[in-house]
Amino acid sequence: MLEYVIFFFFAAVAVIFALVVVLHRNPVVGALSLVVSFFSLAVMYVLLDAPFLAALQVIVYAGAIMVLFLFVIMLLNLQHMSEPATRPIQQFLGYTASAAFAIGVVYYLVKYAVFTTMPSGIFHTDSTSIGVAIFESYVFPFEMVSILLLAAIVGALLLSGRSSGGQAPSPVQSDLPS
Amino acid sequence: MIPTQWFLILSAILFAIGVCGVLTRKNGITIFMSIELMVNAVNLTFLAYARQFHQLHGLIFVFFVMAIAAAEAAVGLAIFISLFHHRETIDVDEANLMHW
Repeated sequence: MLEYVIFFFFAAVAVIFALVVVLHRNPVVGALSLVVSFFSLAVMYVLLDAPFLAALQVIVYAGAIMVLFLFVIMLLNLQHMSEPATRPIQQFLGYTASAAFAIGVVYYLVKYAVFTTMPSGIFHTDSTSIGVAIFESYVFPFEMVSILLLAAIVGALLLSGRSSGGQAPSPVQSDLPS
Repeated sequence: MIPTQWFLILSAILFAIGVCGVLTRKNGITIFMSIELMVNAVNLTFLAYARQFHQLHGLIFVFFVMAIAAAEAAVGLAIFISLFHHRETIDVDEANLMHW
C-alpha cells in the first residue's frame, strides 16, 4: 500500500515539474525543476529494484549534468534575456502532435502492454552483479564509452575555448556575416 | 509490487512532455533540457522491462545511456557557448550558420 502512495506522489511530482521545464520562460527555473523531476525519477528507480542506478541518477544527472546546465545558463546570463514568442502555427502543431503522441502511446500501453505474470523471485541488481556484468560481457562497450568521453572532453574544450591569443579573432569568426 | 504497465505509462507521458518542449520552444538550452527529459523517460522504460523480465542487460544499457548523455550535454553546451560568442543569442532560429 505504501509503495503505491509513494509511486503516485512521485509520479505526479515528476510530471508536474517536467511541465514546468517545458512551459516556464526562465531557463534557471526550468533547470531547477528538471533537478526535482530527476530526483523523483530516482525514487522510481528504487521502486524498480535498482538502487545502484538511483544513486547514479542522483549523482550523475541531478548532480553533474544539471550543474553543468546551470553553469552555462549563468555564464551566458540568460535569465534576463526574454525569449521571443514562438510562431502560433508552430505552437499549435507542437502541442497537437505531442498530445496525439501521448494519447496514442498511452492507449497502446493500456490496451496491449498488460503483463499477466508479475516477476517472481529476487532480482539481484546490487553493484557487484552490475560490475561483474560490465567487466565480463560488456567490457568492449565500456572501453568505447571511455574513449567517447575523452573525445567529448576534447571537443567541448575546443568548441567553448576562446582563441589562445585572446585578442586575435579565430578564422571562423572573421568569415561570419554579422 | 507496482505493475510494470504503470511505469511504462509514466515514461510515455514524460517522453511526450519532452517532445512538446523540443517542438514548441526556441531557447536552445530549454530544448536541450527537454532532450534530457526524453532520455530519462527511456531509461525508466529500460528499468521497468529489466525488472519485468529479470534481465541485467537493461540496467547496463541505462548505465551506458547515462554516460553518453553526459558526453552529449558537455558537447552540446559547448556548442551553445560558442554560438553565443558569435551571435549573442541562443535562439535556435538564429542558428543558421549552415544555411545556404
